[in-house]
Amino acid sequence: MRLLLLALRTLRREWHLPELRTLAASLVLAVVALGVVATLSTRIERGMLASAAELIGGDIGLASPQPLPPVFAAQARQRGLQLTDTASFPSVAFTHQQTQLLEVQATDAHYPLRGTLELADATGHAYNGHAPAAGVVYLDHRALVALHLKVGQRLQLGGRELTIGAELLRQPDGGELLALAPRALMSLTDAEQAGLLGVGSRASHRLLLAGAPAAVRGWRDWAQSIALPQGAQLITPEQTQERMRSAFDRAGAFLRLTALLSALLAGVAIALAAQRYARRKTAEVALLRALGTSRRRVLGLLVCTLGALALPAAGLGLLLGLGLAQLAWLLASQLFASVPTALPLGPSFAAAAMGIAVLIGFALPPLARLAEVPPVAVFRQSLPRRVRRFDALYLIPLLVALALIWTQSGSLQLAGILAVSLFGVAVVAALIAALLLWFARRVAPGAHPALRLGLAALARRRTLSLIQATALSLGLCALLLLAIVAPSLLQGWRQELPANTPNWFALNLQSEQRAGFAQALAGIGGDQLNMLPLAVGKLTAINGKPVDSLSFADARAKDWADRQLRLSWASELPPSNRIIAGHWPGTQPAQAEVSIDTMWRDMFGLKLGDTLSFNVGEGNLTATVGSIRKVDWSSFRVNFFLLLDPAHAGALPHTWLASFHLPRGHATALARLSRDYSNLSLIDVDSLLDRVREIIDRVGNAVRWILGFSLLAGALVLAAALAASAAERRHEAALLRTLGARRNQLRAAAACEFALLGLVAGLTAALGSAGAGLWLGHAVFHIDGFVPPLWPLALSAFGAALVVMLLGLAGTRKVTRTSPMRLLREG
Amino acid sequence: MTDSSRVLLEACDVSKSVSGPEGSLAILQGVSLQIRSGESFAIVGASGSGKTTLLGLLAGLDTPSGGGIRFDGHALEQLDEEARADLRRRLVGFVFQSFHLLPALTAEENVMLPLELEGSRDARSRARAALEAVGLGARRRHYPAQLSGGEQQRVAIARAFVHGPRVLFADEPTGNLDQRTGHHVIDLLFALNRDHHTTLVLVTHDVALAARCERRIELEEGRVLAPATGPTA
Repeated sequence: MRLLLLALRTLRREWHLPELRTLAASLVLAVVALGVVATLSTRIERGMLASAAELIGGDIGLASPQPLPPVFAAQARQRGLQLTDTASFPSVAFTHQQTQLLEVQATDAHYPLRGTLELADATGHAYNGHAPAAGVVYLDHRALVALHLKVGQRLQLGGRELTIGAELLRQPDGGELLALAPRALMSLTDAEQAGLLGVGSRASHRLLLAGAPAAVRGWRDWAQSIALPQGAQLITPEQTQERMRSAFDRAGAFLRLTALLSALLAGVAIALAAQRYARRKTAEVALLRALGTSRRRVLGLLVCTLGALALPAAGLGLLLGLGLAQLAWLLASQLFASVPTALPLGPSFAAAAMGIAVLIGFALPPLARLAEVPPVAVFRQSLPRRVRRFDALYLIPLLVALALIWTQSGSLQLAGILAVSLFGVAVVAALIAALLLWFARRVAPGAHPALRLGLAALARRRTLSLIQATALSLGLCALLLLAIVAPSLLQGWRQELPANTPNWFALNLQSEQRAGFAQALAGIGGDQLNMLPLAVGKLTAINGKPVDSLSFADARAKDWADRQLRLSWASELPPSNRIIAGHWPGTQPAQAEVSIDTMWRDMFGLKLGDTLSFNVGEGNLTATVGSIRKVDWSSFRVNFFLLLDPAHAGALPHTWLASFHLPRGHATALARLSRDYSNLSLIDVDSLLDRVREIIDRVGNAVRWILGFSLLAGALVLAAALAASAAERRHEAALLRTLGARRNQLRAAAACEFALLGLVAGLTAALGSAGAGLWLGHAVFHIDGFVPPLWPLALSAFGAALVVMLLGLAGTRKVTRTSPMRLLREG
Repeated sequence: MTDSSRVLLEACDVSKSVSGPEGSLAILQGVSLQIRSGESFAIVGASGSGKTTLLGLLAGLDTPSGGGIRFDGHALEQLDEEARADLRRRLVGFVFQSFHLLPALTAEENVMLPLELEGSRDARSRARAALEAVGLGARRRHYPAQLSGGEQQRVAIARAFVHGPRVLFADEPTGNLDQRTGHHVIDLLFALNRDHHTTLVLVTHDVALAARCERRIELEEGRVLAPATGPTA
């Protein structure tokens, strides 16, 4: 207790010291940065999960080819969950003149539990509506056009006369690739009464649930613990489409990356400030030791002082973090209108704990060393003191940094890349700085007087110069990664989805229709047309053994062996595909070859040289596995698990799959086109693209917010780095002023010194961030052909040199005004 | 009038006060003196008597609160800090009690500093010569930490003389040295002063050392206790 009181008194007395204030500010900033980012990302993740929930229309669901036993609904009701039943089936709609196959979804009145049902009335006015009542049906635009109908008119569906209550613009689980035909939404009561869901119907059933997260988890655990009916499977937000999941993953990685770098920046500032504080305290500790204070008590006092500083600072950071996160949320709320808005408290408390860990990790080593100052140091302060056994303490910041990288990145790969890159930057910066200092000793005598003085100043503070250059490099590298590389990565991601990304797919195009379709499509403004052959077949044998007789360890294999497979062929390896084993077949391979995706390799345990036999229509084909591909399923391209060589597959019965881009607002023309090609199935993926673009925008906004904190953290690093040498600088300035140095001479020397320091830091940081960006773009964000913006990085390196120089000069203004009398006062 | 009889430094009714927590504190009051070119002049007094403050004012490191100081014809109080720095660079050398060598520079580089500040092209050779003159030619590549206290002060003396100053200000130059080393350093200081025809202004509380100067004044509580005494007084 007495120690704590003493520590509090010490803190009060020393609060005017800039390094203590830097320590406190760095800690506040670390907690704010981590807290804001963690809070925002928790909310955004919730938002994304909610977006994912919108894709399925509930928090969780159960899909089954048969009606589900009532126990599933009963269990949900017991847990207080809301529920809705839906059924989907194909059905033909009739009017007086037209018939059209529709993909019908029948729902009860509670649908949808998540997301909104966007409808339009007869005048085209859009509104959010409810599930259709009995006797009412909603049709999507394609269905309306195909049937020549308008809202308010009637049609026959499943033998019942229904009124078109609205145009279906968007529904929560719309936009899936499975929706092949124009869509209709009708009442479940009507569907049941029409006998559309009876025994032998082709309806698939869904039970969708929503409610409190704990209740949802409880139901999910229960459902997973029992045997589901045959063919039934859980639908979870995590299982949303591969493309969406990939977008969520990337978004999360971006947010974590930015938070992590901000915290590391603050860590560097803390380390520098602690170092300086320890240096300042050396004489005091020597005196305390000489007066009989034990080493343990000295250490206790230092730790208590640090604690007394850390707790209020972390508390302030926590409150500021929560406030700013709430503010950011309110400002960005239009993006997250459908997301629960409760402010999560957990992440901020975790951030405060992490901030304190950063403070302890980075500040403890110099302070622990301080406790080792021998009492004799009161007489000989210049005595070099180096206690080897405390060297190991410097592993603590390294371990804290690694732990931070590990826990915050949430990915071993991201963590590894960041750790290696930053470590590399630190080592290279230290080496370049050492080389510069070595060079300074040799060239300085013949150099321009200002440069000579600047170089001499760097050389005089050799250790500090090395620390400054390394810290500045790390700080700048983190900033460049955030300010230049991250937006450029986001841009790269966005560019994967340019405005003219194919947003429609057409299935079932016949060979003789290709030319006409292409022409007709061009006529209505479609472009980016790409056609791929598509044959539908079944896998019959592997290496000559009938597939029915084989057993596989992977549970998915049986399902895939039973289902209809989509086969295609191409003379060149399609984009988003990469051969990882074997070779892409030449134009005329001697025997049929198939290239398989890695999932097939793993699922069936296939290797190069194995043979696969397929039954396609009337014919059979046996092909050797000639290559294994890694496919980027997150790309918005048509991809296939199995690609055959054109020479052998060309004769198989097939249709064509076309992908193309059609600007919005052309649906009427497209519906006309689809009537001319009535065999075609058109699939709209615009809403899916919209969602991914929306996620990119959300992440972009969040990154911009966080960048603000990072810039502050960077400024702190700079301030701490410059402050580290302020005392020596003042003493030198006083001496040089006494010897008659003009202020301009001192300023020119300081400008040279800081410009050199900034140049070393800037160049190393630019190189480091370019390398890390390249690596991250390729390995973590999977952005093909991503090249970091080299020119902006190079310019930033020189800009950094300039900023460091200007800030250095601004910081030394006071130094150059140091009264020369100071020397006489010091003796 | 010969050069040696010319007044190089003159203080007229100089006072210096600083503001402290308990109001204004007078450090010097009504100090007047004249120092002629080439002479050695001691300012003696107990600790806190204001002698270091007076030295700082005479050397143009600070400006008086009242009165005036003329240095080589220049009224120091009318010059700004830059002009005074210019004057110091051309005319003044310093020797401090704590040597004030820069620890990361070798002895030679420390001596080169004043020459570099004036942009001298032969700084290195002149620094070597200065070190030879104080008997440290062989130690020119040594760092201050590798030199004894006496050697460090000799390096400081070489730095003070290297650019041929008109006045050398020495503040307790033997304060940090043992008696024997102190004697050597003082002998060297006086010898160089004689050889270079430099004016020496010495602050000390050592009466014996002060006695070696041609003239001296004694300060007590910021006032001149006894007027300048000595052979030429």
